[in-house]
Amino acid sequence: MKYAILSTLLFGLLISGCRPTNKINRINPSETTDLSGRWNDTDARMVSEEMISDALTKPWLNQHNRQHQQSPVVIVGNVRNESMEHIDTEVITKEMERAFVNSGSVNVVASSDERQDIRQERLEQQEFASLETMKEMARELGADFMLIGNISSVVDETPDRRTLAVFYTVNLELVNVETNQKVWIGNKKIKKLIERRNYRG
Amino acid sequence: MGAKIIINKAGFHLFYLAAIIFLSGCHAYVLDDAQHDLRSSFISGDYQESSKLLQELEQKEIYKSKDAVLKNLEAGLIHHFAGNFDSSSIFFDNAEILIDDAYTKSISRGFKAMLVNDNTLVYDGEPYEDIYLNAFKSLNYVHQNDWEGALVETRRMAFKMEQLDIRLKGLAEAFAREDTTGRVKWESGKVNIQNSAFSHYLAAILYAKTGKPDDSRIEFEKLAIALREQEKINKRSPAKITDLEKIRNPHSYNVLITAFSGQAPIKKQEDFRLWLNGENDNSFYVKFSLSKIDLYRSRVQNIRIVNDSLQRSDLELIEEMDVVSAEVYKAKIPIIYTRSLLRATIKATGSSYLASSVRDKNKGMGLLVDVLGILGQESSEKADLRGWQTMPGKAWMNVINLPTGINEIEIQYLSASGSILYSEKRTIEITEQTKLGLIESIYSY
Repeated sequence: MKYAILSTLLFGLLISGCRPTNKINRINPSETTDLSGRWNDTDARMVSEEMISDALTKPWLNQHNRQHQQSPVVIVGNVRNESMEHIDTEVITKEMERAFVNSGSVNVVASSDERQDIRQERLEQQEFASLETMKEMARELGADFMLIGNISSVVDETPDRRTLAVFYTVNLELVNVETNQKVWIGNKKIKKLIERRNYRG
Repeated sequence: MGAKIIINKAGFHLFYLAAIIFLSGCHAYVLDDAQHDLRSSFISGDYQESSKLLQELEQKEIYKSKDAVLKNLEAGLIHHFAGNFDSSSIFFDNAEILIDDAYTKSISRGFKAMLVNDNTLVYDGEPYEDIYLNAFKSLNYVHQNDWEGALVETRRMAFKMEQLDIRLKGLAEAFAREDTTGRVKWESGKVNIQNSAFSHYLAAILYAKTGKPDDSRIEFEKLAIALREQEKINKRSPAKITDLEKIRNPHSYNVLITAFSGQAPIKKQEDFRLWLNGENDNSFYVKFSLSKIDLYRSRVQNIRIVNDSLQRSDLELIEEMDVVSAEVYKAKIPIIYTRSLLRATIKATGSSYLASSVRDKNKGMGLLVDVLGILGQESSEKADLRGWQTMPGKAWMNVINLPTGINEIEIQYLSASGSILYSEKRTIEITEQTKLGLIESIYSY
């Protein structure tokens, strides 16, 4: 009987494997958490930090201030995802918007998607809001520069797919809305080497 | 007397193990039946019913955790054709992640499969299933007007297709590394296709429509290569590249029509039974089961669309997914056969060795162990017939230009003689802002 029980246990172990249990911890959002190897918050943060410091220290800002005696107005355009992963590029552009606004040196206006609701609200105010509080039409701030860009990736993996190398390139550009002149180009490269392990046999 | 007791114990334990193995083998047959039921339900076109059936099968634990890839693939496609594109993408995402995880595990999990059969292992998806799930994900994104998302999927599809040959060779090499018996030579067949016409066709359209003519041209050139590759393996001629030039001019069309016909290839079991002569005049029994893949013969030979003003045009056969799948599977067959053969030999040698040891002490008991060995092989040796049942067989596509307003399109599935096997009407609203509408249809017979 002892052998029968042992056989059952052995067989059960072979069939079932180990069951995971859930454990949740709150951690610092700036802590690096690389779980799957895919694009994650750490990559987005690395890109944003570098792009922000680069954009705010390059000559285009001073040149514009000198020429126009006022801070430039920037609108966020399309940052294309040309990689092999679904990447929310808004995480990067929102970080840049935040840094621009908080720096006090760059003005940011609502993007084309965001302003639809605002325009609708202003339109309705003309009919429904009191005269004292009603906002005027045609007082929008025209953008001087548009932020555009792209994210692309190159993937290389070993035949057994245990090791994967992903190379991301993020390009962001500020384009003069009037002249199409590119006044700033930021570039950030991230290379990841992902070693896949076996979790269970 | 003492020896007799030991033999009885051994016999009891062998019988006990055989019973457990026999019972574990049963589940594979239950799953085969469930797969058949799900395929029948899906081809009837009642996707709510198919979704319900899948949930029932899950509740009854017929799809176990090891079959999670399958369950997600089936749910992904059922939700896709039910119009639940968000849910569909989530299920396909899960399937893709699980396939990725299972692939790396699959290589070092040989021992368990050597004891019973491949059905007890985590299903890691056929390489063609891993590719075609991206096709339906890309269509999900097009339905949701997220072309960037759709292009991500076409890029993934193209990458996986390019990697196929390397991947299968890698699988064979990894098995060879893990195999310590040294009895067999591990190798894969050659994959004769490296491009998916479906992915390049869709990408060429999306790039053209997003104002990237150069990228569209590159995709179109790859489409031409893909069609040439497919011509070598296809049962019939795919679309001619010259007939597809239209897709490069984004102003000449505003609707993409995609239709699917036929069904996924069907995996079938082939059993081989042999009596081999061993040492000391002992013959031993070997049974091994192999899976082969059969194409479903669809009656649909052409698909035609008729619009409100009774203008007709044919859809182009862009990808014979079933034929491509069979071709990819063919390259994996040497690995599957080697595994089955090795497993059968190990089981047969083991049971023969045990029977001969017992026979030395008790002839009658030896005979019983022999019989148990045969029964054990019969019940545990089963080909792995798991596969994505709801995957369609062939993809047909074309682009048309429709006027603004509500348009009705009839999609007619035609037989070889030109008679209508099935038709369905779809309405689509075209506005000034419509850049690319998508009409999708399926007839699985």
